[in-house]
Amino acid sequence: MSSRRFFSKSLLFLLSMTLAGAAHAHSTVKGVGDFYGGLLHVVTGLEHVLPFVALSLLAGQRGLKAQAEAVLLVFPVALMVGAALALWLPPVPGLMFFNIASAILLGALVAIARPLPGALFYGLVVLFGLSHGFANGEAISGSIKAYLFILGVGLAGVAIIAYGTLMVDYLLRRQIGWITIAVRVAGSWIAAIGVLVLATAGRSMLAA
Amino acid sequence: MAAGRQRLSAVHCAAHWAAFAFLLAMPGLALAHIGQGDVSGGFLAGLEHPVLGLDHVVAMVSVGIWGAQLRQPAIWVLPVTFPIVMSFGGILGGLGVPIPGIEIGIALSAIVLGSMIALEARPPLWVAGVIVGIFAIFHGYAHGAELPESANAISYAMGFVIATGSLHALGILVGVINKWPAGAKVLRVGGVAVALCGVYFLVAHFMNA
Repeated sequence: MSSRRFFSKSLLFLLSMTLAGAAHAHSTVKGVGDFYGGLLHVVTGLEHVLPFVALSLLAGQRGLKAQAEAVLLVFPVALMVGAALALWLPPVPGLMFFNIASAILLGALVAIARPLPGALFYGLVVLFGLSHGFANGEAISGSIKAYLFILGVGLAGVAIIAYGTLMVDYLLRRQIGWITIAVRVAGSWIAAIGVLVLATAGRSMLAA
Repeated sequence: MAAGRQRLSAVHCAAHWAAFAFLLAMPGLALAHIGQGDVSGGFLAGLEHPVLGLDHVVAMVSVGIWGAQLRQPAIWVLPVTFPIVMSFGGILGGLGVPIPGIEIGIALSAIVLGSMIALEARPPLWVAGVIVGIFAIFHGYAHGAELPESANAISYAMGFVIATGSLHALGILVGVINKWPAGAKVLRVGGVAVALCGVYFLVAHFMNA
């Protein structure tokens, strides 16, 4: 019963995500566009979306109630702290590659499917939250209202992580063999994508 | 009764895999509309690359079919490990590390995998893993060497991995018929066909060389 409520909740959530775009057009609050700027900056960057999805799969594999509930809070907070740090600190060279590497590591951990010790798991959550937040924060420039942009980045983190974690947690609790494998295969694909991106990094647009 | 239930679950499993492959393709399609950089062009280029080369298609589907013949745990070991090993081959190809005889290796992969399916060979899991892994590097290398300069690297890799994985899924789906005696025979005949394709690739390579 409660799992069904869970599911409908996440559906509702998805629905509200699509509505937000429509609401944008009618925005009466001046400057609120920077909020969507932050949100979209994350969501339209595959180098952020892929590792976020991998992290959500990893969290879902741990089981939401048991060990991963806090990730829904810790990760977005780390993202926002990272984005705020970028306001003061100079740009970090090679951060893009570090973030791609996070997709490889997280994807590989999903493929291996052995639960990590809690401290290590949350260490990775904080580390990658900071690094991805920093990369997004570096985009804040000129007249962009930083606090709105950063809030948008945080919401994007909540959205992707929550949706993925809830879905995987729900699916894995059905204990259907092929779904368990499918989640691991998805992790393996994300890791492979990350490796291929690094393979082309030296000569592709990433170098720019 | 029990057999009937098993048959039902096989169909069920097949439907699930189809739904799964479809769902996996969806987010990529949605992303293609964002229009940031050459996201859609890169994705489509990556998606069609593994599908348009018959030598790759035959080998990828064979990996899935052989996995289905080997049953647990190979049916999940092969699709989980293949993309990662292949991407390491992609690094070698992308960096231009010289490996001679890539085309021969790819032709051999069809011959060997086809023969394994035809003979219904069941080597120990690690042997199967090493065989598939070596060929994964050959295939990844060929793809890596052909990576386009212009495409968006991430969306290209995404399309590429999704296409390759879907070919494995297709092979596993086809392999479902292994549950019936007649289906198992059909698979073995298919293995012969795959091996003959490999012989053709090999001959074609030397004719062109």
